[in-house]
Amino acid sequence: MNSILFLILRRLRRPLILIIVSFAISVIGLSLMPGIDGAGQPWQMSIFEAFYVISYTATTIGFGELPYPFSQAQRLWMTFCIYFTVIPWVYAIGRIITLLQDPGLRLAMVTERFTNSVRSLQEPFYILCSYGESASLLAKALDEKDIRVVVIESQQERINELELSNTRYIIPNLCGDAKLPENLVRAGVHHPLCCGVVTLTDNDEVNLTVAVAVKLMNPSLPVLARAERDDIAANMASFGTDHIINPYTLFGDQLAMRVHALGTYILHEWLTDTPGDKLPPPEYPPLGRWVICGYGRFGKSVVKNLAREHISTTIIEAAPELTGCDNCIIGSGTEAKTLLEADINNAVGIVAGTDNDINNLSIVMTAFELNPKLFVVIRKNKHHNHALFKQFNADITMQPTDIIAHECLAHMISPLLAQFLELVRNQTNTWANQLISQLVSVVGESVPETWAVTINQKNAPAVTELLNNGTSVSLENLTQDPLNREQRLSLVPLMLSRNNQPLLVPDTSTKLMAGDCILFCGRPSAKSALPSLLNNTKILTYMIDGVEIPNSIVWRWFKNIKTAKKIKSVESKF
Amino acid sequence: MNLEKVIFGFFIVLAMTLNFGFFLGDIDNPSHHHVYELYAAITVSLIATVLKFGDRTHVGAILLSTSLAADLQLITAAILWAALSGKMDEPSLTTYIVSLSGGALMANFVSVILLISETISQRR
Repeated sequence: MNSILFLILRRLRRPLILIIVSFAISVIGLSLMPGIDGAGQPWQMSIFEAFYVISYTATTIGFGELPYPFSQAQRLWMTFCIYFTVIPWVYAIGRIITLLQDPGLRLAMVTERFTNSVRSLQEPFYILCSYGESASLLAKALDEKDIRVVVIESQQERINELELSNTRYIIPNLCGDAKLPENLVRAGVHHPLCCGVVTLTDNDEVNLTVAVAVKLMNPSLPVLARAERDDIAANMASFGTDHIINPYTLFGDQLAMRVHALGTYILHEWLTDTPGDKLPPPEYPPLGRWVICGYGRFGKSVVKNLAREHISTTIIEAAPELTGCDNCIIGSGTEAKTLLEADINNAVGIVAGTDNDINNLSIVMTAFELNPKLFVVIRKNKHHNHALFKQFNADITMQPTDIIAHECLAHMISPLLAQFLELVRNQTNTWANQLISQLVSVVGESVPETWAVTINQKNAPAVTELLNNGTSVSLENLTQDPLNREQRLSLVPLMLSRNNQPLLVPDTSTKLMAGDCILFCGRPSAKSALPSLLNNTKILTYMIDGVEIPNSIVWRWFKNIKTAKKIKSVESKF
Repeated sequence: MNLEKVIFGFFIVLAMTLNFGFFLGDIDNPSHHHVYELYAAITVSLIATVLKFGDRTHVGAILLSTSLAADLQLITAAILWAALSGKMDEPSLTTYIVSLSGGALMANFVSVILLISETISQRR
């Protein structure tokens, strides 16, 4: 703010001096002019009265001739003053307005405001180095999950979009180039509460630059970067980028997951979606021969993953020498001839995976006419074509933006969630289905909140205190409703991590130990109720044995005597 | 010779000399302290303040703060004069006003000393 104030003051130097000089001359002149008071006696204005008259004249307010009607000499001087003072006044106001509209000054003010709002953040936050389609989804989901974000975006239109969007928290934003280290510093790379940087621009070079810059400036800060090219991804990995996100590999992976374990896939989607949303029931991809149109990065990933599930594929590619495809049918797939050549009539599914939306739609429409039973997977590249894809309603529409946002969320909500999802993949489909039905019975159909709790002095003082006193606290106590201990909160402990040893879906009878990390999943109401159990020893004790601890020293003393008497009477009976 | 420096130095020194002129005389004798001299001192002091705006150096900041201190005291004196004249006896009112201007004189004095020291340390 300092530099801006001085900038304004310096620019206003001339108008201010003009005002002072014109006022000084007018005031002194008016106080010297001979006048006549109410009684007809010669009278001169005092300096204060003259200043008062000039002030209301110069600002064009004009109260009239005060305190007595002016003499001819005073009127003559006032006529001069009117022109002499009003002009510098208007000039100064004009300068102030021009100054406020000055683009340089406005930029300085916006940057300053951004820096200040980041500096004053009191909660953990993430830095998003773009506000494209995936980043906006991510920002919305994080906002719903009460995690703060800061945005740097180079295009003003997207910033406008962000400012108009309906968020619960104010998202500080800066219109600037995330590649510039100074902008990263302004966004809070050195801020003690910054928990990570996410760079999801569609330009790999930009993501690489940001990742390098962040790792140099603050090596301990986690970086999530999007990378589509293998060489860039390898480069990022070489200096320790924590999570490299490739939407095509991820989609191939998820498609394979759908083919062999739909339950695992649903669980994955469910836990990383925006809380409160409802998920449509996903389709089960059929087994059999698939036709893949386009053997680019997307096609390759699909073919690789389908091959792992022992599904045979026929590839159609327009430029086989560019994509390194040895055994394929040459053509774009948009015309019936090529599709027939690929024996579309006997295939079970088709993947339209070129980088052109209109071609993809054309491929699936032609294929659908030839074989209406086909399972259709279509790749959507541009978000603005959403209406067209909705009209077609394919079995699976692959949206890189959604996939990226989900993957980022899994890492950002809590490291435990990412670990949990990793472990879930190794479980069977039946296990996943059982867990889903358990979750649905507790938290309902809509997407639940997912959060992690660490049992330590800072985050769960009540639990720690009881554990130190030798009282055993089980996981079940943390699922009791503080309002009524007979009832259960709508939450499910998904995982308990003890000494880095994960335990999936722990039994509620599990005894807690200091240092445990627990991943919960449940309704927002349960999330807000849990802290009272973790922080309040009185409530927690009541949960465990149904006994209320007296608050005051006197009552406690009284109660101790009573219990001592009871014990004595019990002993005397024996 | 730099015209800007001439004007700058002129106003700072003039602010101090006018202030001193007003301050000079018996502290409770109204005839020793003329209202126009106070008026001139305030005007020149305000101009000097505006001239000091926008200098980002450390010395510039201190110069500005001394000027602000002088303005504050001189304007307080003027307000006292306007508000209390005719309501209390002249010698004690004059004492208030002149002692306030004396405070402003100290600030202006510091300002001039800073100006001189900066000029001396200038090696061109």
